[in-house]
Amino acid sequence: MSAKIPAYDRGKIAGHYPALSNRQDEAYVDFIRDARNLLHHAQQKPITEYSMAILEAEKLPIDAGPQSVKTATDRLMKDNTLRNYYRVKRTYQESFWDRIETSFNRRRDDLLSDLAKAEETGPGSVEIDSDLKIPEYASSEIHLQPGGNMNEDLAGYIYDHGMMVFLGGIGNNDQAHKMFAFGAAEPEDGNIKRILDIGCGAGAMTMALKEKYPDAEVIGIDMSAPMVRYAHKRSLENGLDITFKQMPAEALDFEDGSFDLIVANLLFHELPVSVSKQVTREVHRLLRNGGVFHLFDFPGDKNKNAYAMFFVEMDGADNGEPFLPGFIRSNFEDIMLELGFEMHKNFDPNMIFFKGRPAVKKAA
Amino acid sequence: MTADPSELKKVPELAGFKKNNPQYYDDPAIDQLMGIVLDLGAELWVMRDRQAMLEELLETKGSVTQEDLDKGRPSEALAGRLEQERQEFIRRVYGRLFAEYGGDKAEFSAVF
Repeated sequence: MSAKIPAYDRGKIAGHYPALSNRQDEAYVDFIRDARNLLHHAQQKPITEYSMAILEAEKLPIDAGPQSVKTATDRLMKDNTLRNYYRVKRTYQESFWDRIETSFNRRRDDLLSDLAKAEETGPGSVEIDSDLKIPEYASSEIHLQPGGNMNEDLAGYIYDHGMMVFLGGIGNNDQAHKMFAFGAAEPEDGNIKRILDIGCGAGAMTMALKEKYPDAEVIGIDMSAPMVRYAHKRSLENGLDITFKQMPAEALDFEDGSFDLIVANLLFHELPVSVSKQVTREVHRLLRNGGVFHLFDFPGDKNKNAYAMFFVEMDGADNGEPFLPGFIRSNFEDIMLELGFEMHKNFDPNMIFFKGRPAVKKAA
Repeated sequence: MTADPSELKKVPELAGFKKNNPQYYDDPAIDQLMGIVLDLGAELWVMRDRQAMLEELLETKGSVTQEDLDKGRPSEALAGRLEQERQEFIRRVYGRLFAEYGGDKAEFSAVF
């Protein structure tokens, strides 16, 4: 990338992320990323075994029912090692966001100017709905991201870089999104001319879909103006012709039956289940008969025990994801069936994390 | 749309609205101290990284500027050595937090 573009005055790292503003910030964030990998990710398996051993030794109930989860939480959070684990996780989560936000703010005007220039440039486009009122449920600082996705003009930069740290490297070069997009289910007739990515965020999934289906019209919508602006900028840099729009997923301004494939990637666990149901009704309306809705998100609680649900509830609170436990408990594939979908032949209830919940709109 | 109020009632109490508030230990001073100790490790690493870059530039170029240190990066070879050193440092200093079950020897993992 040309050195003339201020966003990249220190180049890109890990494929596409604009580098932080100075080496000190970068070294700090390198440390947090590795510390999270060693003290958080690497501990997950052994600390699960350690926690289960405590519950089993004391003959505490290990089913995933709410009372058993509360009993497990009360017991486990008296254990000093588990307290260490959650303290470390929370502290680092605050630290990396704060430093990333501080670092991008060191050249805030340059970054905002890049976004504004991109907005005037194609291929592709971005449309902002300046009358949109952000609902209360969407105002949480999800993942503890400063300002959240909605209320910080640099949210796209901050989110994208933060996810690089959060995912410990597995999202580098958009590889995780590409894996999901390339595994997306297709309508039986193979006809895919128009695709919608709902809750597109920084646009990684939207871009991966456009790369997979270069001849299809691909549209990405998100409630956040800063995120769709950033998604357009990234898409533009990759020369992709994608339309991004600021739009709530629960009120999709498109014609009935006008899409062949609709994808939602890691959106629903950030929404109240009541909103996710409305989004699903909207998706059903927009799909043509035989069209596919591919929901990528976390599995439900059917195969979970008390420890796994304790982890989910701690994560929801510590990671600023207030609706995560409710989504997990909803076993959303059951709701999709209630709302008129049938599961796609590729659906595997034991592989939801990697393969998602593909579903088909039945002919009326 | 308006979400089901029963799903919203907990939201203002949650982490994303009340930053820096969670307490995991009986004494909140321990939480505060742990936060400081964890952050100091990262700040110390920033100094170590800068020192290593300074040494490399002096050795290879014979001189160094503020700009080199602020905007530059270590060579690929040095970055590789620093990565290893950084992970050893984290394990050596903080691994003891999980020694109770042998977590101080856990393999590095980027899979969450």
